[in-house]
Amino acid sequence: MSDQPVPPTAPSASLAEGKKYKVTVLRDKCIGAASCVAIAPKVFQLDGEQKAIVISQNELDDMKLLAAQSCPTAAIVITDVATGEQVWPK
Amino acid sequence: MPPQQYTAKVSDSLEYNQKFYSITFELVEPHTLSFKAGQYILLNVPGTEQKKSYSIVSPPSLDHAVELLVDNTPRGYGTRYLGSLRPGDSVSFLAPVGMFGIESQETEIGQQEKALVFVATGSGISALHSIILDQLQNKHDARKMVLYWGLRYTQDSFWIQEFQELEKTFSNFSLHLVFSQAGDDWTLCRGRVTDCLSVHPMVEYAGYYLCGNGGMIKEVQQLLLARGVKQEHIHHEKFF
Repeated sequence: MSDQPVPPTAPSASLAEGKKYKVTVLRDKCIGAASCVAIAPKVFQLDGEQKAIVISQNELDDMKLLAAQSCPTAAIVITDVATGEQVWPK
Repeated sequence: MPPQQYTAKVSDSLEYNQKFYSITFELVEPHTLSFKAGQYILLNVPGTEQKKSYSIVSPPSLDHAVELLVDNTPRGYGTRYLGSLRPGDSVSFLAPVGMFGIESQETEIGQQEKALVFVATGSGISALHSIILDQLQNKHDARKMVLYWGLRYTQDSFWIQEFQELEKTFSNFSLHLVFSQAGDDWTLCRGRVTDCLSVHPMVEYAGYYLCGNGGMIKEVQQLLLARGVKQEHIHHEKFF
């Protein structure tokens, strides 16, 4: 199935460095479900208003993408740093 | 246990009422799953790359399958996909995911929790079902445990017999059902779960574990904080 993410335990070498994607949170859309925090706690945490904030970009690109794809309100935007292209949401 | 990709086959589906049903996935590869009660899976839904999260209903002692609880009414793409599945159909998901669960007795916060109070609304019961079974049956936790479960109508209820059996078997466990739209024949708690919680005596030195929609979690948090419960003893998993 084409929609399966690469398993985070075996990331592809090209994405393993975690420098290809940049994550941002659309604060108005965030409902504080915290699935991103559960998947990528090095990147996201909830602030005092129970909204997700980005605390680091230092994570595997696969995990950043998976965290974004697990957000129920599509509040996490993934951008390809090199091209500026928005990778998620599509 | 880091999350990994699983394939599984639908082995069973059980309709409780018009609103809720459970579905069980027998694991294929890997064929066992080690998880902490309260964690969830991220289901791959064909046709979209967005993942849908579902709490695991079954306790960790069942390691060759995962059972999920599905609320039929939102009719989102995850619900529609699960509703289309038949026994033998293949699914894939990432698991285990999530940090919700009983505070370890090895932490200071966990040691301070001499009782456990669970509060759920609707399908929020799913994670708590796994946790309660695990604590009572597997961990033999003798602490006082109270479950408040809010539903809209009496006909929405299910698992009542199972919880009543737990009450009989484990004297430290008790259940309070709360119906917001109960008929006149319902003589126990009615309204919101906060209506029931606010009139019951506080359980001393309890850890609170909330699972349900964001509005309920906010209301219960406010109530508990106003009644002197410390924030670190209010744990929650927000459903959406």
